Order: sequence, then C-alpha cells, then structure tokens
Amino acid sequence: MPTYTDMTRCDGCGECVDICPSDIMHIDPVYRRSYNIEPNFCWECYSCVKACPQHAIDVRGYADFAPLGHKVRVLREPEKGAISWKIRYRDGRVKEFAFPIRTTPWGSIKPPSDYAVPDAAALNSPMLAHEPEALKIAALPTLSPRDKEKV
Amino acid sequence: MALYLASLPSGTPENHGAATVFRGAVSASKAFHCSNGTLAGMEVEMFHTNPFTPVTDVIPALVMQVYIVLMILAVAIGTLFDTWHKGSAEFFARWRKKARAAAQRRLSGRETASLVVDTIAEAATSGEFGKGRRRTSHLLMMYGFLLHVIATAVMVFAHPTAARTPVILPLLWDLGALMILAGGLWFFFFLRVNVAYDGDSPFRLCRADLFVGSLLASAAFALAWHFMQTVSDNPTAALVFFTLYVFFTTLLFVSVPWSKFAHMFYKPAVAFQRKVEEASGASDLPRPAADHHGRR
Amino acid sequence: MARRTKFVDSDILIIGGGFGGCGAAYESRYWGRGLKIVLVEKANIERSGAVAQGLSAINCYMGMQWGENQPDDFVRYTRGDLMGLVREDLVFDVARHVDSTVHKFEEWGLPIIKNPQTGRYLREGKWQIMIHGESYKPIIAEAARKSATEVYNRVMVTHLLLDRVRPNQVAGAVGFSVRDGSYYVFRAKAVIVAAGGGSHLYRPRSVGEGMGRTWYAPWSTASAYGLLIPTGALMTQMENRIVLARFKDGYGPVGAWFLLLKSHATNAYGEKYEESRFEEIKARVGKYADIKPMPTCLRNHAMLEEMKAGNGPIYMHTQHVLDTKEKEEVGWEDFLDMTVSQAVVWAAQNIDPKEQPSELITSEPYVMGSHATCSGAWASGPEDLAPADYQWGYNRMTTVAGLFGAGDTIGGSAHKFSAGSFTEGRLAGKAAVKYVLDLKGAPPQVDEAQVAALKEMIFRPLENYRVGRNEIVAGTVSPSYLTPLQGLQRLEKLMDEYVGGYSTFYVTSEPLLNRAMELLGMLKEDMEYLGAEDLHQLQRAWELHHRVLTAEAVTRHTLFRRETRWPGYYYRADHPQLDDAEWHVFTASQYDAQTGEWRMSKLPVHHIV
Repeated sequence: MPTYTDMTRCDGCGECVDICPSDIMHIDPVYRRSYNIEPNFCWECYSCVKACPQHAIDVRGYADFAPLGHKVRVLREPEKGAISWKIRYRDGRVKEFAFPIRTTPWGSIKPPSDYAVPDAAALNSPMLAHEPEALKIAALPTLSPRDKEKV
Repeated sequence: MALYLASLPSGTPENHGAATVFRGAVSASKAFHCSNGTLAGMEVEMFHTNPFTPVTDVIPALVMQVYIVLMILAVAIGTLFDTWHKGSAEFFARWRKKARAAAQRRLSGRETASLVVDTIAEAATSGEFGKGRRRTSHLLMMYGFLLHVIATAVMVFAHPTAARTPVILPLLWDLGALMILAGGLWFFFFLRVNVAYDGDSPFRLCRADLFVGSLLASAAFALAWHFMQTVSDNPTAALVFFTLYVFFTTLLFVSVPWSKFAHMFYKPAVAFQRKVEEASGASDLPRPAADHHGRR
Repeated sequence: MARRTKFVDSDILIIGGGFGGCGAAYESRYWGRGLKIVLVEKANIERSGAVAQGLSAINCYMGMQWGENQPDDFVRYTRGDLMGLVREDLVFDVARHVDSTVHKFEEWGLPIIKNPQTGRYLREGKWQIMIHGESYKPIIAEAARKSATEVYNRVMVTHLLLDRVRPNQVAGAVGFSVRDGSYYVFRAKAVIVAAGGGSHLYRPRSVGEGMGRTWYAPWSTASAYGLLIPTGALMTQMENRIVLARFKDGYGPVGAWFLLLKSHATNAYGEKYEESRFEEIKARVGKYADIKPMPTCLRNHAMLEEMKAGNGPIYMHTQHVLDTKEKEEVGWEDFLDMTVSQAVVWAAQNIDPKEQPSELITSEPYVMGSHATCSGAWASGPEDLAPADYQWGYNRMTTVAGLFGAGDTIGGSAHKFSAGSFTEGRLAGKAAVKYVLDLKGAPPQVDEAQVAALKEMIFRPLENYRVGRNEIVAGTVSPSYLTPLQGLQRLEKLMDEYVGGYSTFYVTSEPLLNRAMELLGMLKEDMEYLGAEDLHQLQRAWELHHRVLTAEAVTRHTLFRRETRWPGYYYRADHPQLDDAEWHVFTASQYDAQTGEWRMSKLPVHHIV
C-alpha cells in the first residue's frame, strides 16, 4: 500500500485529495473520509501523509515485498523548516531522524517581476535571468565559432 | 390520525377529537383575523409559543416524553450495537492494550484528569478542526443541535402546556434550529469535502449524508411546522410539516448504526486516547523538531 | 449531456508544472513582464512531477565558481555515458547555465549541504552535490506561482492544437478538469510542453500493489511525447530507453552510496564483478569500454551478466561504510528525502544498513529525456553554440513553430536531472518570450471544428462505460469496453515480452519487434473502446493514450537502429555489436496524423567539444 487513512483520525478535510500527485486519494461515500482508491498507482511519495493536519494517513509498504509490522512515520513542520521521521522495524527496533527542509520563510521568494526590467540587449543575448552574476563567474561560457564546426 | 392545529396562544386544552380539530382551526383562524399584529408581530408570536402544547391536545404529553426517551435509547443502543456488530469496540480495546504496552511512562491521576479536561475543552470548541470555516460551521451545528434538543426535552417534560412555558424556551428551540440550518446548509452546499475537493455536485447524496441530511431536514421542518402553527393560517401545511418533522427526527436517531451520528462519542474517546498516548510516549509519531537534541 | 467549455487565452501556455514547467514560468515572466503566462498541471504543482517526494542530491552542477568543472567537461562526460550520442550543443547549453539555477535555488531556501572543510557545496561525485531536498518541489512551486499569471491545477491536457490555416504552427491545447469535468480550450501564441517522461510502458517487476513502486513516478505518463507525436514534431532517440540499477523493490537511489559513502557492489559470493567482465564488454563495444567512468549501460550490462550466470543476489555492502553516526544519517536521509519506500523496505525486512547489505537489481525500462538517457523531441539549439543544422531560430523549439519543450520532452539533452530540467525550462521560457514578441500578424487560430470533435473524443470513454455497463451485471469484465488498467497491462506485457523488457533480460530482435507492432496495432484499435467510470478513470484513459503513442515510437525506433549501442539498456540480438560506421547517428521519426504513417530517418551527430 501504499497509503491508508486512519478511521479515527481523519475528519474529512480534503488536504490529501488536493495534494496527491497521482489523484488517488478520494473521499469514501459512506464515512466521508479519505481513502486510497488505487494503491497500485501509489508511489509512497508521502505527500498526503505530510499534508494531513491530523496525521491520519500512514503507509503500509507494498504487500508484494514488504512484510507487516513496520512503521515509517513522519512529522513535517514547515513553519520550523524541519522534518522528523520515526521508523519502527518489524522486529521492534526504532530509529529517529530529523532534517532541515528550507532555510528561508515560506512565501519569501522574490517574484521575477520584482527585478529590474531587462533591456533588449539582454533579451538577445544567450544569458538567462540574473546572469552572469548568479553564475558567480565573470561571463557566460560559450564556444568559439571554430568549435561549432568540429565534427 | 388525529392531529392538532394551531391553537390559541393562551388557550387551555380542550376535549380531544376531530370536532375539536376543526373547532380549533376555526378559532385559530379567527385568532389570526382578530389579531392586529403585523407579520413581524406574528413571528414574535412564534418565538414565544411552545410548539408542543397544541400537540398535547391530541397526543398525551406522556407519549411525547416516551418518544424522547426512546430516541435517546435508540442512540445509545444504536451506538453500542454498532460497536459490537462491527467489532470496533474490540478493536478499540486491543488498541488501548497495545498502547499501554508501548507506553514509556505511566500517567498520574492528575495528568489523566487534565487530559480529560483538555479533551472536553477541545470538543466543546471543535478545536480538532484547527482554524477555518469547517470549525465555525461545526460549532453552529453542534451548539444548535444541543440547544434545540435540550429545549425540546425541557418543554416536553417540564412545560407540556403553554401557560407555564417561559418564553425563552421556544426562542432557544427556534434559535437552535436556525443555527443548525445556518451551519448545516453552509456545510452541505459548500464545505462537504466531496463537494469542495472531490468534484461532486452538492446535490449528490450518499450514505455519509444520512446524518447531516436528516439533521437538516428535522431542523427545517421543525421551523416550518412552528411557523405554520403560529404565523400562517394553513393547518394542513402545519400538519404536513409536523409529520415530516417527526419522520426526519426519528430517522436521525434511529439510523445511528448506519450514519455518522456516533462520531460525537467516538471522536472524543479517540482524542482522549491519543492524548494519553502522546503523554505516555506510546505515540508512533516523531517528536516535534525542537525536541531533538543536537540535530542540524 | 451539456458540458461546460472554458476558454483560456494566453501568450505562453506551459503544459506540465514539474521542474521544467516551473523553470519556464519563472524565466518567461522575467523576460515577458506584460505577457499572460498560463501554467496547466494535471495534479497540483505543489507536489507534482518526478520530484514530488524530494531529492537528496542535485546531479547536475558544474561548480564553475570554484573551478570544479567546465561545461565542455560535462559534454564529454555525457557523451561518454550515452556511448557517443548526445546533442552536444544542448548539453553544453544546460551545463553553462545550471550553476545560476542552483544558486537561485539556494537563495530561495533550498538547503544545500556544505563541505565543512572547504565551505563549498558538498560533492557527492564529480557532477553531484548533496541537498536536504525534502521540500525541493514546494520551494520551486512557490517560485512558479509567483511567476505565472494563472496556474490551473487538476486539468489534464490531452491534445495540442495546431493553427487552423498556417501549417505546422502551434495554436494551443485542449484538456479537461479532473475535478468537475469541464472542457478546457487553451489558446496560446507559444506552447512549452514540460510534461512527464514515460513510466509504465513496460511491465514493472512488482505487479500487485507494488506496481506503484516504479523507479520513475507513475504519474510520468509519457505525455511529453504523447502530446508531441500527433503534431508531426520530429522525435529522436526514442529507442534509448533507460534501465536503472537500484536497490531492489524500493528502487532507492545508489548515487550517494557509491560516490559519497564509497560503498561497493558484489555478487552473492562477495566478488566485484565489473572488472571481471571488462574483456567481454570490450568485445561488444570496442573503444567505448575504455570510457571512464564506465557508462551507465555498461555497468548494467555487467550486473545483468552476473545475474544471468546465477551469481545473484547482487549486493550493495552498506554495512562497510556506515561507521559513524553522521554517515548513518546520510544513508537514511538519502532515502527519506526522495524514496521513502526504500526506508519502508528496510523497516519491513528488518534490514539495518549498518549491519547487513541490501540487494540491487536492474529496473524495468523507462522512456525519458532528463536522466542518463535522452529520448524526446528534436529541438533547435542555442544560437551561439549549435551547428547550423541544429538550430532554426529559437532555442528549445521543436520542428513545430511556436512549440517548445523542456525537461523530459527534449531529446539528445542528457543528464539534466532536476536542476538541468529547470534550466532547460528557463531556456525554453526565454526563447518563447522572444518568439511571442517576434510574432507578426494575427495570433494563431484554433480550428473550431477540431476543438468540437476533440471534445466528443476526449469524453467518449465516459460514454462508452455508461452505455456499455448496461450489458453486464457487475465487475470489470466487459466484452465491449476496456478499462484503462486493462489496456495498460496489455501494453506493459507486450512491451516487456517483445520490445526488450526485464523478462527477456532486455533482449529483442526484428521478428520480436514486428510481432510487437502487430499487437500494438490491435491495442490501438481497442483504444477506441476504453471505458472510464469517472473522471479519475478518464485521466487514466488519456494517460494510456500518451503511453501507447510513445510505445509505438519506441518500437519503431528500436527496429530502425540496427545495432546494440547501449548494452545494459537493451540488446538487438540480431545486431549485437555497436556499429559506429552506420549508426553513429541520431534516429528520428515523424508521424503524420492524416495518413497514420511514420517516417524514419537518421540525423547527424556533431561533436563540437
């Protein structure tokens, strides 16, 4: 599996339906809570697991090759820029890890239209936005005309 | 089936029987004709009128009281039957056992009590929804329902006759129904997750709608019945709406084993269990990031 | 049933909100301040595409600021890895710009791991740097949302539209909302296709729930090719399908293990097999066996030979390299940042990498353009780099005017990975702005009759199901319609058995390929009878259409190239040698939608570096 939704935690908010890249988290018509409609198209990407405000979604590894009894649970805290994992082995061993996910506040990216409007010369050059400064070298590399004809 | 009609607001119960019914209709319409109130006045009339009093002209108060007790029993039995039949009680018992075994520490009585209080506070404020429209609409529905149900019980048990009904009660009864409708219709047409996120038409009904659907219908017909009783001079309409009110109210309470009704018990129970797990170290979730020592 | 049609007009339409599409959005906004730029994505750009889970490394970064690598070094590297055949102008172009992309990513908030001694980005390998990349996609999506005029999530584009009167010019696209079933007609002056490459063309190794665990995302449904092929755009190298050697079942990445942690792989008996197979490889591919590092396909080949000889399982000896807590964290983060499933496999099978090795396996084949492979559209290169026959005016424009591509879409442009695909999106975005500004005369016009006909065609599977369903009591077996999954599994089986899937150890031949064409022919006919129960199944149906189109291209290209250029990716049993004399070329195909004919040709490989 792929993902499954915990009956007791899900309150039918729809975040998982909204985020799933595979379009497989949908709403059950009996309980109006989410469930995975197509486990064989689930990549175990954990997008829904991370997005669920109630931590209601978890993964049970694909039955084809993952024996039961394991847990890989995640807590993503975007406001802290951090993600934490708690892994429980089938034999009971536990491992925990935490990693950073972002160094800047969410929403802080400067839109491209906030930069000065580029001139016609720049438009016609091979340089992309913010170059050559963003390359952190003096000039954009190119090839001499002689190289172009080499075959 | 003998039913009643709009009664004189301050009338005393008269003899039962069909004749009474018609006589009541005539006197009711006379009352309206006599009244020099405006429509607004008639609506105020509505909020001051115990809707159940006229019913006791035709049905003994005891019958209504027994009905209420039966409905409460239906919820209790329905919930218990559901958990036994589905095995969810057994599931919950096993889960608790596993959590206790996984606990890293025992909680003191005081800690446990504090978690109970937290759970009740969270339920009372619908805090499990976080921020947003779903929380607001749920609060409206939840408190509207409580208000309406309690007002019903008080009026039926303590004030089956109008003469002694404090005017606040019918007002709260109507207010509760209005709150249910406000929160519920908003939820039904705009917030239901299958409509808002899954592309369903709001008019598409499924089993999950049994609870909120019968709740909305019950509240809507309660108000329609009350309105017809006091404001309009259409006794047939009032009769029809009363029938529908009783039908949907009964459906609401009797369908507990098949509807989402019982979530009002399950959710707080589970919320408490989760709080206990988190406090006792049995939770399988990772600790929040700040708790880790020396991580990058 | 009356179905709403929504018209969306724009200057630039970007199809696909992955790394290529987000790069295109950012750059086209920078250069085209007043333009209307629309991004359309079948899922939600916040987590769509191949980088949904995140990544643990950026595999294309030169480090020119520290003199670590130069673009021409990168060209030599990719040329070697693809056994001589890459579009060197496109590769140089990506390599010279990718550093600025990566520096912007860091500025935006992507945590790039630093080398504590040097302060530079921590190198995994010569071209790769390590990142804490769990939120790589959400960060990039934020940049895209701040760039595009409008972002349409949950709208699947099924067909491109060509201009009503001007031949070979793009005019827009059509598709449908996966949520409410509205028909969308996009009209645009320029279109950038940055849709996904192809997973699930071949039968995957796991076929139950495990079918979902393909190495490349299951939602990479070959739309990059399925959208382009019907327009008559010239396609190249479609035979260059890639096979990956990865951790078994979970398909977790091996790069950090080999390159950073310096682990190694052996057969079941502890023997390092790559060296022992060298002579045999040299006999097949001649001088290409001397390329360092050993090309990806040849490393696969060595592993395959080992497995065929019965010396498996093949093991990655993780237990020899996790001697510190820090290294253990690196090993786990490598998976948790981008392939959580491999961590799940470890937990499920009680494998602690500190204590025991893990199995490696070769995957089923994939068709894509952004990895150690370069299938895709034949595109115009940059003006200052590309030889005359590699450019026709606008960088990354296909042979259809106004139709651009980026990421998996573009052929010959190998080893881009995430940062390179975003960079290629930027290149296409800037070029599309120039194209739009240059556009004279009336904007492109869509063909109204075609739009109406497509509307009926696109939603027909819903109708097929609705009506056909009346014939049976219940269940999935119907004599009159095919569900998308049934069609997909037929495709996967025929590709696996006849066009060199894993079950044949990637071996095919002309007789096998001809049989594949017969079976594909019948599958194509059956596609008329796809039945979709709901909008989700309708999405699956059109994903299958794109896969089938691509599969036919793959089969035809595989027939056309009469040599075995990439042993370890696939083998022509009837032409087992590498043949530079005849086949040091790109293969090309062009499909004619009117006649249904395919025209195959060869295109020259120019070595400019």
